[in-house]
Amino acid sequence: MQRRINLCDKPYLVTRIGPPRTQQLKVDDGQFQPVRLTSMKNGQAMIQLGGSRVHVQMAVKGETVYIRAFNQTFALDILNPVEQAARGNFEGNTCRAPMPGTVVTVDVEAGTRVMEGQSMMTIESMKILTNICAPREGEVARVHFEPGSTFGKNAALITLTKKETV
Amino acid sequence: MPDITQVLIANRGEIACRILRTLNRMDIPGVVVYHFADADSPAVKMAATAVQIHGPTPVAAYLDVENMIAACKETGADAVHPGFGFLAENPKFAKRLAREGITFIGPHPGAMELLGNKVSARTFCMDNGFPLITSVTEAEAKENFIESARKIGLPILIKAAAGGGGKGMQIVRDHRSLDQAVLLAKNEAQRSFGDDEVYAERLLEEPRHIEVQIMGDLHGNVVHLGERECSIQRRFQKIIEESPAPMLTRELREKICTTAVEIARRANYHNAGTVEFILAPDNEFYFLEMNTRLQVEHPVTEMVTGLDLVELQIRIARGETLPLVQDQIKTTGHAIELRLYAEDPANDFLPSTGALLAYSLPTGKGIRIENGFARGMQVTSAFDPMLAKLIVHEKNRNQAIALALQALNDTLVLGVTTNIDFLARILAHQAFRAGRIHTGFIPTHTKELAPLPLNQEQRDLLLAAAALGSREFSDPVLTEPYTSLGDWRN
Repeated sequence: MQRRINLCDKPYLVTRIGPPRTQQLKVDDGQFQPVRLTSMKNGQAMIQLGGSRVHVQMAVKGETVYIRAFNQTFALDILNPVEQAARGNFEGNTCRAPMPGTVVTVDVEAGTRVMEGQSMMTIESMKILTNICAPREGEVARVHFEPGSTFGKNAALITLTKKETV
Repeated sequence: MPDITQVLIANRGEIACRILRTLNRMDIPGVVVYHFADADSPAVKMAATAVQIHGPTPVAAYLDVENMIAACKETGADAVHPGFGFLAENPKFAKRLAREGITFIGPHPGAMELLGNKVSARTFCMDNGFPLITSVTEAEAKENFIESARKIGLPILIKAAAGGGGKGMQIVRDHRSLDQAVLLAKNEAQRSFGDDEVYAERLLEEPRHIEVQIMGDLHGNVVHLGERECSIQRRFQKIIEESPAPMLTRELREKICTTAVEIARRANYHNAGTVEFILAPDNEFYFLEMNTRLQVEHPVTEMVTGLDLVELQIRIARGETLPLVQDQIKTTGHAIELRLYAEDPANDFLPSTGALLAYSLPTGKGIRIENGFARGMQVTSAFDPMLAKLIVHEKNRNQAIALALQALNDTLVLGVTTNIDFLARILAHQAFRAGRIHTGFIPTHTKELAPLPLNQEQRDLLLAAAALGSREFSDPVLTEPYTSLGDWRN
């Protein structure tokens, strides 16, 4: 079984093989190593990979695994191949909400030509205003919300037309 | 002065819980108001009476004066504690309550108007000879601007009167360059703002934010409860506060605290208030502003003085004389407060949202928690992203830092990005430990405060844990360990 896992904004390809008791795992093009996750008291767990091991605290929600280890807290996103493909298609065409909030102003409409970095929309999340800027030069295909509308995390805000191919 | 028999808390979250605790101890029934978004919050569970309020947004519901008046009438509450934020510094609210015969647990509206407004507070301090940062405008100086600016003393900051954002600013460290700097600033101001008026101000480099807790009664008595050091800030908001302030001489501390008391006395101030000062490296201090309410960071003062500030506020509001004179107020040990925020230090401290999948706060001797959340609750964009406050009290500053680090290590919040690890890195920083702190501490030390990069072994362990921990990735036979992981202790 293979999955892409995002850690600190970088994707890694993680492959697991073998029956549960003797399973092995490799990261990208590394070596397969025996792997085991053991849950412990008080919500802790221990992960062993090859000769290394560490105690972690973790929780899972949907495709995100939250882990505390090495005096840091991480959120790792697990992408299955289908979703990955879906994300890939929209990449660069749709600006998504970084967090839930409210639309304050909309500066463009369908058909507006935008330059890279041009502000297209202002949103407010937790009292902080953020400009949604065009990730590239292009034409606005669709504005998904009107001023005053609220949206959730990752909601599509503005879609640009597909990149013109030369 | 009417007695207080029931108190409505016009607030939410951790401060509502904190006020309820004191009310319970004083045997005064407490009433909380809540918006639907807070229906499952600890404050609502804790209060004997809870009244639902409505508004176009959750925040608007708590800002609505009529909501509070209606809830008082419905429940028979004869006093209101505003907490901080929302209506706490709104003189109109205090006046409206007075008209309804409801006691506002806070200062007189006149004092709120005088000291709560930056401009009028500055004028008040200037008229009464309290220390303000020396500045001179071209209009004030008329023909002699350069000469007047020279008198301010070095270094001098020349700023565009119309400006902001650092445009048109010139720093003068040598009197000989003053004329040239004024010329440059005026040119830049004209280009940027279409107005070449500039003003000169004494530049404070690496200043500290020191504030003094004061408490006044209705009989003219005013005392201070010591100072707090609040220089560790991001986005102009404090995240670590301590009392006493490190590296202050006894004389300077006394002078700052006495000045705060004098300001409050001159303004006829009563109830709790905080006078904020900017302290320059040369030990000169200047009035910044006054907060006419209880502060977020009041627990550090409570820890070192052993006093309950909310109790004092209520007793003052019902007309009692301050139970202590200045000489009876003693401080012991050192207290530090850490504000735990749902925010991302790696991304300009932007607020983050999500479900609290794991939420476990530390307990133990010398540790105090002020908290308004519970596991399973959502952190939404509706309110301020502060999750909880962790306060420690120890014999001295070093021990307090050690206890704070241990307490942070025993804190677990998963499901939403927080500043917990970042706070630990500040506490562990050499300059913080040495007390070399100023309001620019975080931007100055950005690099050292960043997390250590992961090595390959650590990275692979995390990826393996995520892979085996995710339901997505694992076979049914492998899910057994994770079902237990889903349920965390509280």
